[in-house]
Amino acid sequence: MNIDKFEEDIKKCRFCFMCRHLSAVGNVTFREADTPRIRSSMIWGVMLDKSKLSNADFIDTIYSCDMSAACRFHCVNHWDENGAVLAARRDIVEAGLAPKDVSKLSKKILSSPAAASVSGPSDIVYYADADTMALPGEMEAFDKIAKKSKIKYATATGGDCGKALKVMGYWQQAKERLGEFVDSLTAAKAKTVVVSSPYVYDALVNDTAEFGIKLSAKPMHVSEFILAQKLKFPRAAGEVYYLESDYLKNYNSNLKFPRQLLSRLKASSPAEFTTDILDEEIPYMFGTNNEESYTCGEGAVVFAQLRPQIVKKMAKYVEARVGNPKADVLITASPYTKIQLSKNTKVKVLTLTELAAGCL
Amino acid sequence: MFVSKDSYMFEMIRTELADAVGSEYVGTGDSDKFGHSIDYYWIPEMWHDRGMPTPKPDFVVHPGSAEEVAKVVKIANQYKIPVVTWGGGSGSQGGALPIAGGIILDTKRMNKILDIDEQSLTVTAETGIIARHLEWAVNKKGYSTMHLPASISCATIGGFLAHRGTGVLSTKWGKIEDMVMSLEVVTPTGEIIKTLPVPRHASGPDLTMMFLGSEGTLGVITKVTLKIHPKPAAREFRAYLFKDFHTAMSAGADLMRSRLEPCAVRLYDETETLTHVKKVFGIDIGSGAYLVFGFDGEKDIVELQMKHARKIMEEKYNGTDLGSKGGDLWWKNKYKFFYPGFMFHLPQAFGTLDTVADFAHIEKVYWAMKKAVNEKFPKARFIGHFSHWYQWGCMLYARFIFEGKDVPEDPRQAAALYNAVWDVAIREAIKNGGVINEHHGVGLKLGRYMKDLYANSFPILEGIKKTLDPNNIMNPGKMGL
Repeated sequence: MNIDKFEEDIKKCRFCFMCRHLSAVGNVTFREADTPRIRSSMIWGVMLDKSKLSNADFIDTIYSCDMSAACRFHCVNHWDENGAVLAARRDIVEAGLAPKDVSKLSKKILSSPAAASVSGPSDIVYYADADTMALPGEMEAFDKIAKKSKIKYATATGGDCGKALKVMGYWQQAKERLGEFVDSLTAAKAKTVVVSSPYVYDALVNDTAEFGIKLSAKPMHVSEFILAQKLKFPRAAGEVYYLESDYLKNYNSNLKFPRQLLSRLKASSPAEFTTDILDEEIPYMFGTNNEESYTCGEGAVVFAQLRPQIVKKMAKYVEARVGNPKADVLITASPYTKIQLSKNTKVKVLTLTELAAGCL
Repeated sequence: MFVSKDSYMFEMIRTELADAVGSEYVGTGDSDKFGHSIDYYWIPEMWHDRGMPTPKPDFVVHPGSAEEVAKVVKIANQYKIPVVTWGGGSGSQGGALPIAGGIILDTKRMNKILDIDEQSLTVTAETGIIARHLEWAVNKKGYSTMHLPASISCATIGGFLAHRGTGVLSTKWGKIEDMVMSLEVVTPTGEIIKTLPVPRHASGPDLTMMFLGSEGTLGVITKVTLKIHPKPAAREFRAYLFKDFHTAMSAGADLMRSRLEPCAVRLYDETETLTHVKKVFGIDIGSGAYLVFGFDGEKDIVELQMKHARKIMEEKYNGTDLGSKGGDLWWKNKYKFFYPGFMFHLPQAFGTLDTVADFAHIEKVYWAMKKAVNEKFPKARFIGHFSHWYQWGCMLYARFIFEGKDVPEDPRQAAALYNAVWDVAIREAIKNGGVINEHHGVGLKLGRYMKDLYANSFPILEGIKKTLDPNNIMNPGKMGL
């Protein structure tokens, strides 16, 4: 079984409580089962008795994980409960036990082409996934920044980088889809692929390496791309609060680009905090810490489709932590997070791209 | 009443519970029940590790207010069903395990911070809040609860109150019972009561103290007002290495007798200095006993206290100064000890023989426990450190460890071996003037020693329990009650 590869992680996590406070789902459902400790314990139970894999309640719990990987990032030894959950999903799928909603969504994804449609050959390709496409302001903002930078780029739309399939446990299909997706970018002669969605960035950086897929272009998150343009921003961003991205922080070693961009935009933050794990001042921080995931399930990519009620609670959890809802502006690196917060709350949210374009 | 899931009574009771707290907040699924069948107690962990079935609750309820807790308790009284209050599930004594099935009353939905009073410097919160979340929230306003235990990330404030928890800064800032102003409690018969609003008065016995440490046997603590403190301008640590444990203990006791006010003092015996300290800090500090202490507050006051403390360590006890770096390493790594990879884990068998005594007895307790464990269980390692120092004494955080190869494969035999160590060590501690225990609580693990410990005063505790909980529904079988 795939979970067997995580035996040591499971053994380490199954009775450990040190990351309990970072269970983004557990913090809104209040269920012990929605914590890394109990998920690991349940997976250990499956390792001892394979028949438990088919328990519907176990399967439901495994798919209720938001995959933020905040636990792994926090842990001093980075034990990978997140990886164990992913492996359990893979085992569930490979045993033909995928729940109906997961199976239905995977079929829907697989029915569309994996290759992106690129507007033409170009050194720079800006890829707009479905979440980015759902935010016209994000694409307009990128276009404004590119024009100001005198950058010519092609736009890629549609397609599928395989990430949603991967997090749902459809490993082989995810690998094949990512391969086709990368081929479509390569065919466009892209030297740089810019993406707004952190999960796509992670697929291009980490999944390609994991699946042995060669990507000749350099993947860049839009925050890194904007920073590289050396633009002058005449307007200061003012007071903002930054919501960390699961994929940029927890999956990619706390990338600095978003904060560097905020600094370039002369953003200010009324309070700065240190955390136990980073031991450094964290500017622009939202809430009380930068360890909890406030992304509403960005790590699970399609969490809003699979667990809309949990996502709604997660959004309300974020809303409850906004100091001044009428004035505070939250900034996210993730179109997904902006969509969920906009849909489920009244908080003011901008993406980093939108903020930067507004400062031009 | 034991309720079979096949009985229509199961559905009758579930319906009533759902009416009390909302259908969404009554769990009866396998995951919910499993999630409340293991805490941090070695025996259920080992039981699960061996694939054995563990006692599970019939219902997991998440009330959102004291009123909802009262409704649940009244339903439980009606049907005489056990109610076990559950916070974060990080207890090491089995105190929150549903050993007789029934209702797990999970408090985490009651997680609101109700008021931060910057005039009195207090915070009022519902007790289901995870301690780390409360600490972060008051930190944001420039304060701290100063309650910083290793379980801060998992345990709820209610859990600390229920078993009289202690944080790493207890020497100056006290245990949780020293931090409490007042409580709201739902009694076992479902009344919502409040204890007096301030902790210092002469209006009779202190009800607040009666509920603290009662581990869910006398009611459910639903709200608390705690003291908070401005974050100190300075906090400095210093570490020393002494030739042996006795010298280090003498130096530490002298520091406390000097009535300087360290925020933390911790002493590791020679074995733990060699193994654990080196492993966690990543430095080889040599052989001997490692003592670390710190002061916090205004910078000049911290410096002055440190100057006097150094004099005691260096001039009177000839301690080798490891400097502030040697001390800061401890502070920086204070939680690291408890992460997997640093902490003991299965298949090892391990337990913390947490015992507190005054300075006149603490060394005797240490040597007596060590001798008894070493003689009766030669395959066990006995190590210890001394944390939570007070003006009159300190706590021995003794631990025994069996390597996996020395633990019987049969889970019953493994549990028997484990319990035998506790029997020997705890009775030795009590005989030599120790009290079990300082901050982990009693729970299931130590319940059987309560009569030994309290002797002829135990019937008073039993009488209180009978008066408050006539149907014995609240956490039955724990604390020897």
